[in-house]
Amino acid sequence: MWESMTTEQNFAEKIPLFISRSNMSTELNKTGSWRFVRPIYDEKTAPCSAACPAGEDIARIEMLSSQGRYREALETILLENPFPAICGRVCFHTCETACNRSGLDEPIAIHGIERFIGDAAVRDNLTFSLERLPDNGKKICIVGAGPSGLAAAYFSTRLGYSCDVFEAGAEPGGILRWGIPRYRLPDAVVNAEVQRIKNLGVKIICNTRATQNFLEEAKDRYHAFFIGCGHGRSLKMNIPGENMALDGLDFLNRMRTEKTESLNNGTAAVIGGGNTAIDVARSLVRLGVKAILAYRRRKQDMPAFQYEVETAVKEGVKVMELFSPSSIAQDGGEYILTLQPMKPSGMETDTGRARVVPDGETTQELRVQRIFTAIGAEPSEPWQLPSKENAETVYLSHCAFMANNPPFLFGGDLTNPTKSVADAIASGKQSAIVLDTFFKKGMNAIADRLNSCLVGNGPALSMERYLDGKRSNRNPDMVSYENINVDYFSPAPRIKAESHALDKQVNPFDEIETTFTIRQVMEETRRCFNCGICNACDNCRIFCPEIAVDLQDAQRRINLDYCKGCGICVVECPRNAMALEEEV
Amino acid sequence: MTQLNIPDSEYMYSGHVGCPGCGAAIAMKFALKALGEKTIMVIPACCWGVIAGPYPQSSLKVPILQTAFATAGAAASGLKAALDMKGDTETTVVAWAGDGGTFDIGIQALSGAVERNEDFIYVCYDNEAYMNTGVQRSSATPFGARTTTTPGKGWKKNRKKNMVEILAAHRIPYAATANIAFPEDLIQKFVKARQMKGGTRFLHVFASCPTGWRIPSEMSVKIARLAVQSNIFPLYEVKDGIDYTLNYKGDRPVMDYLKIQGRFKHLNHKDIEQIQSMVDEDWKLLLRKMNHNQRG
Ligand SMILES: Cc1cc2nc3c(=O)[nH]c(=O)nc-3n(C[C@H](O)[C@H](O)[C@H](O)COP(=O)(O)OP(=O)(O)OC[C@H]3O[C@@H](n4cnc5c(N)ncnc54)[C@H](O)[C@@H]3O)c2cc1C
Ligand SMILES: Cc1ncc(C[n+]2csc(CCOP(=O)(O)OP(=O)(O)O)c2C)c(N)n1
Ligand code: SF4
Ligand code: SF4
Ligand code: SF4
Ligand SMILES: [Mg+2]
Repeated sequence: MWESMTTEQNFAEKIPLFISRSNMSTELNKTGSWRFVRPIYDEKTAPCSAACPAGEDIARIEMLSSQGRYREALETILLENPFPAICGRVCFHTCETACNRSGLDEPIAIHGIERFIGDAAVRDNLTFSLERLPDNGKKICIVGAGPSGLAAAYFSTRLGYSCDVFEAGAEPGGILRWGIPRYRLPDAVVNAEVQRIKNLGVKIICNTRATQNFLEEAKDRYHAFFIGCGHGRSLKMNIPGENMALDGLDFLNRMRTEKTESLNNGTAAVIGGGNTAIDVARSLVRLGVKAILAYRRRKQDMPAFQYEVETAVKEGVKVMELFSPSSIAQDGGEYILTLQPMKPSGMETDTGRARVVPDGETTQELRVQRIFTAIGAEPSEPWQLPSKENAETVYLSHCAFMANNPPFLFGGDLTNPTKSVADAIASGKQSAIVLDTFFKKGMNAIADRLNSCLVGNGPALSMERYLDGKRSNRNPDMVSYENINVDYFSPAPRIKAESHALDKQVNPFDEIETTFTIRQVMEETRRCFNCGICNACDNCRIFCPEIAVDLQDAQRRINLDYCKGCGICVVECPRNAMALEEEV
Repeated sequence: MTQLNIPDSEYMYSGHVGCPGCGAAIAMKFALKALGEKTIMVIPACCWGVIAGPYPQSSLKVPILQTAFATAGAAASGLKAALDMKGDTETTVVAWAGDGGTFDIGIQALSGAVERNEDFIYVCYDNEAYMNTGVQRSSATPFGARTTTTPGKGWKKNRKKNMVEILAAHRIPYAATANIAFPEDLIQKFVKARQMKGGTRFLHVFASCPTGWRIPSEMSVKIARLAVQSNIFPLYEVKDGIDYTLNYKGDRPVMDYLKIQGRFKHLNHKDIEQIQSMVDEDWKLLLRKMNHNQRG
């Protein structure tokens, strides 16, 4: 029926008109019966979130941040990762490598947004609400307060367990605290985020080195164990004169704990190509020492994060690629490092790195004041690894599980193929889910339960999905660049955080990169496609030729009485948050 | 991200009988958001004559005068005269005709009304053929298209008539093009036309037709957008027949637009090149007109 009569219609009512006049609307025709495909709201998985080891709901975090809803963005991060300020700084952000925006110009600076939210939480003391299951009376003993142990405590506590963390060092944080240098990760940031774990009621007992005996005794007091001791012992090179070299990890540790170290200029050689080697070399540069990095393969084969390598070079670190150390000798107050030139010979299929062999007989000598080794590390005690004899041990993507009585879990660097902070956090999360499922539903339920928590096709896991949060409805199908309607996006440069040039810094160990400003966050988050999730842009409703998309209480709904199934809404949705389904 | 900002008001009902994905239906939906309640539509024979509803139904919340195929310009003039007599200065009279009813059979009535500078808005929603009667070619059908009267090898070998230029030659106060894929631009032009009372305003609205163009219904808006992105249907405005403003610069090849439509499927590489050069030529000509008013 007519909803209201206009003045003209009222007027025309009074004079006789000899033409036929309509008196009802077309709403009588239920054109929905024409339909053979049906549009549905169907939120899908963004590739960034599946590539994030912690499985953060990045598309949503960027969307909330773009709308200035920082508290909700924080809550969304904290569902999956307790350490945004830390990860925003040091994570290798595999999420950005997977970002669809690369198809248009450059990936979103996801880490920058994460860091901004993490810092805002601390600076503005943002309140947040975290879902937490009631206390279930079970206690977990966690060994090692590195990111894996702390994350295991964080997620397990939220699932209703009470956790005690035993740490050998004087302070919690693991490599975050004593490995990664302050110019990349200031103490205050680690403190603030560790405090978040303590606030949950987790007890962290420092200066307590767990031993096999300790664990044996503790079995009476705890229902389960998580071992996250990391790699505490440096690997040896097995070359003559090795004992004259200094240990890189020790050096970094001293830099963090004692804060000052005086080295009287000169030149130092650093052997290795991993994170430790780079951090040692960059720290040396900050102490006024000339640093030469000797690595046996090519520069691009270095296991260190490439961005870090480039920054190191910019800061003055000299890289000698394809040189393998063969001996160290002393000469007066100095050391002579003999290097064997190497050359690539084919590729390793599993790592994609070059395999190298000696290149000729002529070696090269480096005369330096100090030599540091940083070629990797391993677990310091055999019990820190799941026992090989135990046939019951289940090896999962980010942890190993032994269903002894009591059950034991091993995670972090001890088990992870990729050794990173975010992978360590993934260990903590996976362990919490595995253990909770084991206690509630038994061993056989674990595989299925883990599968139901995957982000996309995994291996990233979502705690929100485990807790049956809204994200459980998310379709695991991944959104690709081809699924984005790029008509709604124009190229815009990726925002770069400001960084202080090393030579202009008052204290060379001050942090180099700054946190994004609100303005930068606005600009950068607006670049994000919000792949697969609805950001209420309203295109589906705007373009519907049938006026068949209703908006009620901020919720869009297809009115199937009238929708003819043309599918325009699905194509005009810029971010693939809808789908067409065949009518049955 | 481009965030569209479109008024919430709705003057169209669900349940109309336009084909799924009809661009002409979308055009009306947007137009009325700009025109508002105080509007009378004059609709000659065309798809919209049917979409408007079978008697006694109507798909619009504003009054409609249905009229004969050739008469939109004349009927709108008469309706405006009647409103004048009643002292109604508020209501906007809008003629809403297809391309057949505008470019071909209706051009006489339209030209007459514009020459008299009648006070109404004339909208041609252009789906580039006589769709309502089964896809016969019109003088708005583009070069290269197959229709039921230009079938097989006999696909249309004549260029599309440039209607806006014909109107500009009348020194009409306002003539502009619009497209359903650019709703903000379209709505803004309709608002401008509504506010410019006192003379004839002409709006040429590109409206895709899944049925006649043999395109998937879901691609209807996307393809309309491509027409602008490839400069096949430029968005521009002409004031007083001389003052040109360009609203969008496309940068995509016509190939992107042509290759996804059934009506152009038969075209070979050379044909497409020929169309590209025609489009380039038209585009250059348009740019010259833009420059003309800058000089003075
Ligand atoms: C120099 C350096 C730089 C790095 N930079 C980065 C980076 O930028 N980004 C990144 O993602 N990753 C980086 N990594 C890797 C990352 O730090 C590790 O993958 C991660 O810290 C592993 O976490 P975890 O909890 O397994 O172990 P750890 O962080 O090593 O923590 C283990 C903790 O267990 C304690 N512990 C050991 N044995 C016992 C015991 N018996 N009893 C009690 N406590 C014990 C240790 O004291 C330590 O605190 C870097 C590593 C190094 C060495
Ligand atoms: C004088 C006259 N000739 C023919 C017709 C048949 N007829 C009705 S609508 C139509 C085609 C209209 O084409 P167009 O104006 O382009 O509108 P469309 O249907 O494509 O929307 C024709 C030929 C008619 N109604 N009156
Ligand atoms: S555009 Fe946004 S949602 Fe999509 S992959 Fe990149 S960061 Fe994730
Ligand atoms: S078009 Fe916009 S409002 Fe509609 S589902 Fe997609 S993102 Fe949400
Ligand atoms: S034939 Fe074309 S213009 Fe006519 S109602 Fe169908 S889609 Fe719309
Ligand atoms: Mg037509």
